[in-house]
Amino acid sequence: MAALSTRLVWMLFAVSLGALGVHATVGLNTAWGDLLRIDGLTLIMATVVTFVSGIVHSYARRYMDGSLHQLRFYGRLLALTLVVLLLTAANHLALFAACWALMGWLLADLIGLIRGWPQAQAAARRARWSFLGGSALLAAALGLIAGYTETATISEALLHTDMLPTSVLAGVSVLLVGAAMIQSALIPFHGWLLSSMTAPTPVSAFMHAGLVNAGGLLLARFAPVVAGLPVVMLAIVAVGALSALLAQAWMLIQADVKRQLGCSTVAQMGFMVLQCGLGFFAAAIAHLILHGFYKAYLFLASGSVVTAKQPPKTSSSAAGGGTLAIALFTGLVGGGLFAWLTGKSVAVPDGGLLLTLVVVLAVLHAGTTVLRTTALGPLARAVALPLVVLPAIALYAGVYNGIAALTVDLPMAVVPAEASIVHGIVGMLFVLAYVATERGWHRERPRLYTALLNMSQPASATLTNRRSDYHAH
Amino acid sequence: MPTDLSALRARVENAANVLGRCWPLQSYIAANPLAGFEDRPFNEAVRHARALFDGCGYPRANQLRYAWNAGAIDPDHLQERLRAHEQTGPLETLLAELEGAEIRSESPAPRADDPLNRIMAKWLAVFLDQGQAAWSMPHREKGFYAAWREVAPYDTQIPNRASLRTLPERAVDALAAGLDGHPESQWEAILQHHLTALPGWAAFIKWRVQARHDAWQAAHPITLIGYLAARLHTARALGLSVTPNNERSAANRRPPNDDEYAERAAPWLEAWEATYREQLLSDLEIAASTTAQASASPRPNAQLVFCIDVRSEVIRRHLEETGPYETFGYAGFFGLPMQYEAHGTDARVELCPPIVDPKHRIRETPTADSGDAATHDRWQAWAQAGRSLVKSLKQNIAAAFGFVEASGGLFGAALAARTLVPNWLRTGREAWTARIPQPDDFCDLTLDRTPEADTPDGLPVGLAVQEKAAYAEAAFRLMGWDRFAPVVVFTGHGSETANNPYQSSLDCGACAGHPGGPNARVLAAICNESEVRAALRERGIDIPDDTVFLAAQHNTTTDAVQFFATPALTDTQAQIVAQLERDLNTAQDHATAERAPTLRGADLKRSTADTERRAVDWAEARPEWGLSGNAAFIIGRRALTSQCNLEGRAFLHAYDWQADANGTALAQIMTGPLVVGEWINTQYYFSTVDNAVYGSGSKITQNVVGNFGVWQGNGGDLMTGLPLQSLQSDDTTPYHHPLRLMAVVQAPVDRVKRILNRNAQLRMLFDHEWMALAVMDPEQNNAVCRYQPGGTWQDESEPSASTTEDAASVSEPERAMSV
Repeated sequence: MAALSTRLVWMLFAVSLGALGVHATVGLNTAWGDLLRIDGLTLIMATVVTFVSGIVHSYARRYMDGSLHQLRFYGRLLALTLVVLLLTAANHLALFAACWALMGWLLADLIGLIRGWPQAQAAARRARWSFLGGSALLAAALGLIAGYTETATISEALLHTDMLPTSVLAGVSVLLVGAAMIQSALIPFHGWLLSSMTAPTPVSAFMHAGLVNAGGLLLARFAPVVAGLPVVMLAIVAVGALSALLAQAWMLIQADVKRQLGCSTVAQMGFMVLQCGLGFFAAAIAHLILHGFYKAYLFLASGSVVTAKQPPKTSSSAAGGGTLAIALFTGLVGGGLFAWLTGKSVAVPDGGLLLTLVVVLAVLHAGTTVLRTTALGPLARAVALPLVVLPAIALYAGVYNGIAALTVDLPMAVVPAEASIVHGIVGMLFVLAYVATERGWHRERPRLYTALLNMSQPASATLTNRRSDYHAH
Repeated sequence: MPTDLSALRARVENAANVLGRCWPLQSYIAANPLAGFEDRPFNEAVRHARALFDGCGYPRANQLRYAWNAGAIDPDHLQERLRAHEQTGPLETLLAELEGAEIRSESPAPRADDPLNRIMAKWLAVFLDQGQAAWSMPHREKGFYAAWREVAPYDTQIPNRASLRTLPERAVDALAAGLDGHPESQWEAILQHHLTALPGWAAFIKWRVQARHDAWQAAHPITLIGYLAARLHTARALGLSVTPNNERSAANRRPPNDDEYAERAAPWLEAWEATYREQLLSDLEIAASTTAQASASPRPNAQLVFCIDVRSEVIRRHLEETGPYETFGYAGFFGLPMQYEAHGTDARVELCPPIVDPKHRIRETPTADSGDAATHDRWQAWAQAGRSLVKSLKQNIAAAFGFVEASGGLFGAALAARTLVPNWLRTGREAWTARIPQPDDFCDLTLDRTPEADTPDGLPVGLAVQEKAAYAEAAFRLMGWDRFAPVVVFTGHGSETANNPYQSSLDCGACAGHPGGPNARVLAAICNESEVRAALRERGIDIPDDTVFLAAQHNTTTDAVQFFATPALTDTQAQIVAQLERDLNTAQDHATAERAPTLRGADLKRSTADTERRAVDWAEARPEWGLSGNAAFIIGRRALTSQCNLEGRAFLHAYDWQADANGTALAQIMTGPLVVGEWINTQYYFSTVDNAVYGSGSKITQNVVGNFGVWQGNGGDLMTGLPLQSLQSDDTTPYHHPLRLMAVVQAPVDRVKRILNRNAQLRMLFDHEWMALAVMDPEQNNAVCRYQPGGTWQDESEPSASTTEDAASVSEPERAMSV
């Protein structure tokens, strides 16, 4: 079973990759009746999902060897992979909803793979209820769409979104966004994800690299609906930004490696949703793919964190004026390069400015960190900075442009949202959060610390306080 | 009512006696989780521990079934032990009854103290964190109680948190206030109840309190009193009674939840042990009788000293087969109680067993004007800068998003490489180390006393000549050396594994869970110094001029033995070393071939390459077996054991009874290395029989917390002990046979008796059956004499009292039926 499943998934990866290549060169948009439609987004997601699933399969061949759950593990992993593939290709509204519900059910089951461990079962129940709720929201949204547009397929429905009255459009958008938020574990629906560490490590890797991404896929698929009302887009920006900043703050205080990664996923999914809210659906897809690689790696390597460390001495002071100036300059150059490579307008302020700002902050931070590394000589530091930053930006811009090109004929390639006060506030919050952490304003604040720590706790029924409750199978 | 605070402190000490200690993952020490119960007989201790921790102290029914089916339990021994325990009935029925007792009940009901445990585990994790979190708990430097006192009034998980605003400043006062209203006679019971509620966390606190040199304890102190004070006040604020409730009574324990299980399993365990022990002793007796006649062998080409570790036995046996080599077993820290500072770090590592205090600091420092050092350090700085850049970007609140996008592609490539072609990593690393100069090439060790390098907070740097000579002398005396080969190699050991939180549990236990290479380097360098040799000559140990001492390290994952930089060699020595290196390669192939069938999914035809893959494969949960299998500790000449295949299950300590007339060396071995062997054996035993309560569960759901420990899944109590994958071939088949250690000593019985009479602590371990003792008396033709709990000795030649006519009733058909 294990070997067969692994081989099959890698074969699917090869097929997906090949098809993606064909699509990139000659274009490949096929449909099988009302049920399936294969387009650029399908192929991108299929390639990524089969890649991560293949890695997880191959990894688990050694890692899970000797485990009693192997048969159930590979069975569900394979089923989940196939369901997600079907979901990316589903064109029939009912098929899409069915895949969504099945995906949630299988995932909850994998969280509770260890049957004899009551806390794992509690975590599975927690997730199952969340996903049931999400599936219900999605079913309601798709039902409304089908009813008002009188079609059964996504592609047809998206052509007729104007048939939805504004109130219905708003309702459908809220339902869709809710379903996406549950799937992507956005605040306040993060509980299931932060309580899911009872899953074996390879399951976590697949979950954080593949399945939480379905929220982004949902928003991208139904982009014309959710982008129909500017106020909905602004709300998406707001909920995305909230998760991005708050969960990243949670991540800072976690002492265990897997919850740290979980909080980071909530934050990154928040950012991905924020990108959707800005109208950059292609950027969101690029983000969820790259984040998937990143997070899968960190989960699979989560046993490597144990190192000998010394207690921190007095934390190093903030960067001096000269360092800051150089770093800021590099940051602006990096941001400019990013905007230029990805064709973002800097002159006319729109949502793209916010994405550019995030790149500027990342480069700024890399800059100050490198410039403060006294172990390297001044020349080395000066060389290292552009050497690290510029190729990284170019690489990202390459992925982003590639995805944008592959999905150009999809209805999700919408015009960036116009700049608004919400965007301004979000931008300011990012800058403020950056400056606050750089300056250490958050430290030694017991009330803030306790509040963040309590917000990011897993469900109590999923904690193994008595070791005799634990069971390995 | 003013409380007697010193009495309170004493009560806390007493209550904490039942706790084991849990070492951090960086320096994992295998120790008896029931160390606090060693003053009681084994069966009583496990029963008591069961009441406190809900842990099972005897092998599980499935493990006994496995052993029975595998023929590891001899039917005669079993019948005899069953009679001794007054149990009768067909064996299959007895076994089925044991299995029946293990049926799991429904999932446990929520417990009243769950909210309390949840809150305490939450604060302990963030307070004790050793560098995992970027934003640590505020005011940690004030100590646990004071830091908790700052945050507790804001803890919204405590409904009545306002009551925590007015707590006393000192922890001990707060604890007294928390016990207010309860008479002193109840204190110990209350305190013990709370210390054993989260026994893993309490065991780690207990370690921290006793770790005098630990930098984290110095920076963020925690005490049991501070923890208990916070816990009792949290309990009160939650509206819980602080007195023990009956939640942990027998009715609420998981199955097998009767003391009867222990009584019924005991004869099976004893028969399992007897089967192994009788076989071993008879093998040794046969070997002793054949080697006794062997004439003195010619001078060997080389002598190699390995650690007493059970893994050394395999490589030693295969090396000896290849040529004229002599091998010895000695504690892997080579008797040097040292603290070590490697080049390029400021971390000081203790490289000696936990029962020994380090006395010297040895630093690895570059030789003057070494260009190699500069090259090495430059690359090191780049690598370090890269790592801290990645970490800093990951954690930055606003930069993390851009970082993920910019680096995601590289992570994708790394995912594929590490999973699909793990060997590339090894090739890459080897190419790297070949190109960049390594510290042992360009560094010297500060062997000589260097007062100017001393720091006020540290140990003296280096050793005086007489100290060096004393350590060298101790080594040769303890091992009973009478001659020196042209080449002598001290071989430390370390493991090589990837993505393994338990890496240090596979390293040298005698070096506090670190590789023992540095100790080997120090002792070899010492023995090469002419002043030391002169001093040794005065002490009666004459090392010939044509002898050179080298240092090496045995990689226990791949069985490769690698030499450290060697001093100048004569032609003869160089030839011997060259041949030795070839023979070590052969021995490696043979040793890995022997181990391969025990490792899951091993490539039997290319066993060495397979172990090399395991060493770097991030997906490998069973890179090697560590000390799994350990069941005997043999103190004696290699001639006693060299003809036996001990299957990597025996610790071997070299000892020559003829060179130790007054028994000093034997006393040191039995009170030092042997006791550490008992720590290791009991840890493996309890981790195997109850992997949840005494071990750390399956690696696949482990979650490293605070960079020092592991909890399962989302958190809760800290897991202590070894993971399932270190002990079992799969979820249900034990690889480690949970047998208590048997010490075999080759020495006159009277000498051993004298030692036991003088060391009550040691005798207690035998009297209480934490381990067993057999003596092979060379003056009595190596006759086996066994120590009986209570102090009597049983001679092998005496007829066993329990041999009766129905011993033969376990016929082959009955065995066959149960298979």
